[in-house]
Amino acid sequence: MTDLWQLSARELASWVRQGEVSALDVTESFLERIAAVDGAVRAFIRLDVEGASSRAEELDRRRSSGETLGALAGVPIAVKDNIAVADWPLTCASRVLEGYRSPFSASAIERLLEAGAVPVGQTNMDEFGMGSSCEGSAFFRTHNPWNRDRVPGGSSGGSAAAVAARMVPLALGSDTGGSIRQPAAFCGVVGLKPTYGRVSRWGLVAFASSLDQIGPIAGDVEDAALLLAAIEGHDERDSTSSVRPPSLGGAWRDGDASGLRVGCLREIEAASLGDDVRSSWEQALRRFEERGARIVEVTVPSLEAAVAVYYVVANCEASANLARYDGVRYGHRTEHDRSLEALYSGSRSEGFGPEVKRRILLGTFALSSGYYDAYYGRARAVQERLRQELFEALEQVDVLAMPTSPSAAFALGERVEDPLAMYLSDVYTVPANLAGLPALALPSSLDSEGLPLSLQLLGRPFEEAALLRVGLAFEQAAEFSAHQRPGLEAT
Amino acid sequence: MSLSSQEIKRIARLARLELTPEEEQLYAGQIADVVDYIDQLERFAREEVHEPAMAPVEREDVASGLRLEPEAWLANAPAALDHFVLVPQVKKSD
Repeated sequence: MTDLWQLSARELASWVRQGEVSALDVTESFLERIAAVDGAVRAFIRLDVEGASSRAEELDRRRSSGETLGALAGVPIAVKDNIAVADWPLTCASRVLEGYRSPFSASAIERLLEAGAVPVGQTNMDEFGMGSSCEGSAFFRTHNPWNRDRVPGGSSGGSAAAVAARMVPLALGSDTGGSIRQPAAFCGVVGLKPTYGRVSRWGLVAFASSLDQIGPIAGDVEDAALLLAAIEGHDERDSTSSVRPPSLGGAWRDGDASGLRVGCLREIEAASLGDDVRSSWEQALRRFEERGARIVEVTVPSLEAAVAVYYVVANCEASANLARYDGVRYGHRTEHDRSLEALYSGSRSEGFGPEVKRRILLGTFALSSGYYDAYYGRARAVQERLRQELFEALEQVDVLAMPTSPSAAFALGERVEDPLAMYLSDVYTVPANLAGLPALALPSSLDSEGLPLSLQLLGRPFEEAALLRVGLAFEQAAEFSAHQRPGLEAT
Repeated sequence: MSLSSQEIKRIARLARLELTPEEEQLYAGQIADVVDYIDQLERFAREEVHEPAMAPVEREDVASGLRLEPEAWLANAPAALDHFVLVPQVKKSD
């Protein structure tokens, strides 16, 4: 018999709803899987074994008393450590929040619970979401399940690694500049950054509020859609959440690509891509053509400036958002608190790790008197241009297709000493955040070293359904099958 | 560009961060590298943007959202007494 942990989220939920298996059996199967392989991957910062089991038992009781369970009935889910779950710790993988327990749950978590999901634990990440390798965690490094010497990507590296290693069928991540999509790419799973405003940010710890978005990481497109449908929709507690109706009502499941216009960026054709990345991308475009789509060349001249814009805008917002960690109301407090001023700066300096300090300093610099216009003002102007160019391109085509990352997963330690090199690897993920667009990362093939490569699709605002339809068409045509999994030995 | 030791100290003070001399040197170099990279924006920026990234959203001025007992909030405070968060003395007694 197939182990329950090998099944998709939609299969599990349907079995649990019909009473074919109990939610407790499902949860226990995944908890056993975690116990067997997480020693090698280290995706989880903490687990709530007891809470997950009693939640599953409660779902089983409700079902046997005649209640119809929700769309995620009994589906175990991992939560990135920057999304609040009531009574769980919430640390953003930072010493500054060590010991903090959240008094409430994020809106996305409330909705998941309503849909019958079973949160099992919190996943590792780059501190406060600042990083592309998960090496910025204050606690430990997470390993890529495909090759333990490689990074899982970041910042939602723990969530992506947990799904890739089948420790959970679904995970929540957050994406400010690629933090769902790039780790999904490195780990060979599906990651979706919804349109800005599609999913409530209430209860997501703020990094760069104009860019942050919660989204799904899943084994395939349909499971990602299942999770998005559970968490999307207006929430009055987040004033930036959209009042538009949910995205997934229509018939997107036919995976029909015929007549579709797929945009191919001239700037990426000219970019320096690794051989494997380039051939995987070109092969993806051919797959679309085989399925009846038309490839249309478009141009987004400001793409080249995206990383520079991002590191100004995101860090300016971060330097303001992270001002709240002052050791007064919560979080780490220094013992050297001879004055209020010393309490603030001592607590912050002891609590934050090097990447967070670097970004706060950069943001503070770019916002400081004398530099504001030259950096923040200019970056916002170029952001606006990039946004317009992307919108114009999306008038000519249905989706834009590009690699998710210019390389496959890099080696642990390779880029730690060189922050700029780390930042430059975000070149294809930051544009979607800067323009507020939905973007989907899909496994495309394995490279010559057996590491996953990924195709990214960008869609029009609030047209997640179209994006998923194209994604499904690609998934069905791609070399990479969702059944392909890293060969992790149980330890 | 390069950041003088005085300048990195000024930024650190604005950011309420205490840096060791080694950190000052490290961050000054790394930030200067990133700022050099960011300077390419000069080539791309043509017009000024004045409007905020997002339009303001209005709602009725009524209390909504989370209501928790003070104890629930204070449970996370590093130091508290009764219903107050404790901080070092702010004003010197005469």
